[in-house]
Amino acid sequence: MSKRQWLWSIRLGAIALLLSFGATSAESALQINSDTTCMKCHKRNGQMLGHHGQDAMKMTCSTCHGEKGDHPKKPNDIVVFGMKDGSELDTQLAVCHKCHTQRKLGETEWTHNVHAQKVPCAACHKLHSPTEPMADMTPKVRSELCRNCHSGQ
Amino acid sequence: MENSKRRFLKGTCALFAGATGASLLATVNASEGAKAESDIKYAMIHDETKCIGCRACEVACRETNQVPEGVSRVRIEQTGPFGEYPNEYYHFSRVSCQHCEDAPCVNVCPTGAAFIEKETGIVSVNAWKCVGCQYCIAACPYKIRFINPVTHAADKCDFCRETNLAQGKQPACVEACPTKALVFGNLKDPTSELVQVLRANPTQRAKVALGTRPKLFRILAKSGEVIL
Ligand code: SF4
Ligand code: SF4
Ligand code: SF4
Repeated sequence: MSKRQWLWSIRLGAIALLLSFGATSAESALQINSDTTCMKCHKRNGQMLGHHGQDAMKMTCSTCHGEKGDHPKKPNDIVVFGMKDGSELDTQLAVCHKCHTQRKLGETEWTHNVHAQKVPCAACHKLHSPTEPMADMTPKVRSELCRNCHSGQ
Repeated sequence: MENSKRRFLKGTCALFAGATGASLLATVNASEGAKAESDIKYAMIHDETKCIGCRACEVACRETNQVPEGVSRVRIEQTGPFGEYPNEYYHFSRVSCQHCEDAPCVNVCPTGAAFIEKETGIVSVNAWKCVGCQYCIAACPYKIRFINPVTHAADKCDFCRETNLAQGKQPACVEACPTKALVFGNLKDPTSELVQVLRANPTQRAKVALGTRPKLFRILAKSGEVIL
């Protein structure tokens, strides 16, 4: 009986420990978000909570967005990702292709092949949010994503 | 006496002729009636040049017709990639019931559960009559029939006869297609979009040599022929 109680206390302790880890990560203790230069201004719109922000990857804001240069003055060389207000398509693609080869991308998902060099990755992928919208999509959500661009004729 | 006999014969002959004429007329009327009844013959076109493989058609069909997971009434078959990076492309073709005019599934069904709706030409299944013998599944040359795990009856695309069509809407897959790659309509209405598209494009149907007279048309994406 006492042994069982002891086991339970260990289990509960472990759960509490895990929860406390969870709480810290929600506040984002990730190394990348302690970059004071960027976070001074981008604390609200620049927090990196996604997969690419994990400490083990040792990435900084400039790994993808490039060196600060004249930013926030314009023009500057900061790389902005997105379909509409983003940097030049080639510039955006070059950043992602530094690590992700087209061949592997095509093998994982055929839609990469048909959109290659036609749309920026950020048209579908969101790196800053804690969840990547492209992961675990239901067929319905997936087809609606296609519809966003391929509608009408 | 001679005269009256002749008159009698004439009279009977006239009577007979009249009767035959009338019955002939009746048959003509009847066949006209049958024709008037069926001035609808539904068909569908899948324009593969417009299809992007989004599978919204599959999703919509499943939702609208409550098709359980694991089976499907319509499937988009994907082949490829063809071409060279960065211009690779794929082919998408629709796999679903062809609504054959001479339907093997209907011909073999022992209970009459598989039937062709006279008014529309839609090939359908009466689930309550189906005993699940699977003759139709074996007979269908297009291999698109299945046993619905919920109803335990044979199932397949019925052009949404019991769902969207009954509500005066287009079939769910057609409504859902973002690129308008699917066109549904009446083959007998020369003003319908279906007929217009059929007239304006070369189309193909699968396995016509079998004499099934399928009514699912495809506009081919790229020539599958040898290049001379
Ligand atoms: S395609 Fe198959 S199921 Fe559809 S009508 Fe023809 S034989 Fe029947
Ligand atoms: S017509 Fe209706 S039943 Fe047939 S594939 Fe389209 S949605 Fe499914
Ligand atoms: S919904 Fe239209 S475009 Fe999408 S896969 Fe079906 S037929 Fe093709």
